[in-house]
Amino acid sequence: MSQPELSEEELLQRAGRGDARAFDQLYDRLAPRLFGLLRQMLYDEKEAEEVLQEGFVQLWERAPSFDPERSKAFTWAVMLFRHKAIDRMRMLGRRNRLVDGAVLEQTTLRSSSPSADEAMQDAERGEAVSRALNELPKEQRQLIECAFLKGLTHHVIAESLGMPLGTVKTNIRRGLLRLRDLLKGGA
Amino acid sequence: MMEQERFEELAAMNALGMLESDEKRTLDGTVARDKDLRTLGLELDITAAELGYLIKPTEPPSDMKKRIRAKMRVKGVKGMGLSRGAIVGGAGWALAASFALASIWLWNERAGMTEQLAAASRAIAPPANPVTPVVDDGKAKARTLEEELKRRRDEYEAQKKALQDEIDSLRKRETDASAQIARLTADLDALKKQEQESQLQIATLQSKVWEYRRSEMLVVWDQKRSQGVLVLDKMPRVESDKDYQLWVVDPGKPDPVSAGVVTVDPKGSVKTVFKPVEAVTGEAKFALSVEKKGGVPKSEGQLLMVGP
Repeated sequence: MSQPELSEEELLQRAGRGDARAFDQLYDRLAPRLFGLLRQMLYDEKEAEEVLQEGFVQLWERAPSFDPERSKAFTWAVMLFRHKAIDRMRMLGRRNRLVDGAVLEQTTLRSSSPSADEAMQDAERGEAVSRALNELPKEQRQLIECAFLKGLTHHVIAESLGMPLGTVKTNIRRGLLRLRDLLKGGA
Repeated sequence: MMEQERFEELAAMNALGMLESDEKRTLDGTVARDKDLRTLGLELDITAAELGYLIKPTEPPSDMKKRIRAKMRVKGVKGMGLSRGAIVGGAGWALAASFALASIWLWNERAGMTEQLAAASRAIAPPANPVTPVVDDGKAKARTLEEELKRRRDEYEAQKKALQDEIDSLRKRETDASAQIARLTADLDALKKQEQESQLQIATLQSKVWEYRRSEMLVVWDQKRSQGVLVLDKMPRVESDKDYQLWVVDPGKPDPVSAGVVTVDPKGSVKTVFKPVEAVTGEAKFALSVEKKGGVPKSEGQLLMVGP
């Protein structure tokens, strides 16, 4: 008899209780998107692989603290892996400068076109996030995308884009608050 | 800017990982005291993380899972493959009896397994000749041993690779760290030189106004660069249409020179860098007044603190 597929939250909770098989399944579901994120942030295949390994070790260690009432398993993992990537950038002395070849203006997240094997629920959420993001004014959207993907400080982003620091801060604040409201279903 | 907006700004930037270490410390300190800000911070963290749904998936290398497991072993991470949260509660006699029976059975099995493991160990012991099964009692057993050997060899290879990766990574980190130390040393030297060249003046300001008797104000003034750092603490809250404004008194100028509006946090504290709107050439004195919201070009309000 085939078992119903477990949600990512259930898998993470099981991993938190020491279920290695659940951890394996969770890896299969999350790793491609997390690896995609790390490659964009770190701009280096080897570094991304290294952080992916360390991130999953930490995910296993921290899984018992996951609370499904507060966040989805995927967003929880994104927070954990972004922190690790930012730590790595700090260690490499890259956080306060733009890596050669990385272009901020061209940094964009994909528009909503989920792959066939992506879980339906994730694809729906991806579409909702994409719609909400597209409702933001262009400047706010670009800054948020750029900050999310590059892990740079606001000073570096302002300098690299030739924008006043105050404009960067204001747009980030307004944009992220609006995005929160839109994703909550607000107008 | 309103305090609330300032903290919203910090929380939003923190959610996107944009803050410098000192800004993050400021935010963390306030978040620890303010429940609403904590809730806002969490909401914005989750909002930012949701952008991860738009990341284009990229398949990691096929051996990544093995590498993660090997890394866990190398790091001595506990629990993989074991039940971390297994708690036997109220097991009772039935469980105890089952356990006893299982122990006897396991004891008997142990003898057989010991032989099997010894055979497997003999088989894998010389690495140069690893695939010759020592046992000869049936093809099935030989196959099992061969599979076991293959599994162990794979595991060993993965572990070896993880160790090599770890060594490479450590070497790289060491090189990066050395480069960073060199950069920091150069920065430090430059700062030391700057410090020697600058003319620093430290001033504490006093107030004769009753409400400000407990307030503390410290100015560190760099005459050469004509800029300074202001630290205020225990300052009373000003009316909503007013602001504190800092002035630098230059003996060579008829009026005090504005050094900008100063916004204190809800605890009445602030630490900020200031630069007067005009160059100050003489030996500076400092004053703080309450002025109209947004500040004024020429002081109109009462001078609250003056020094040194």
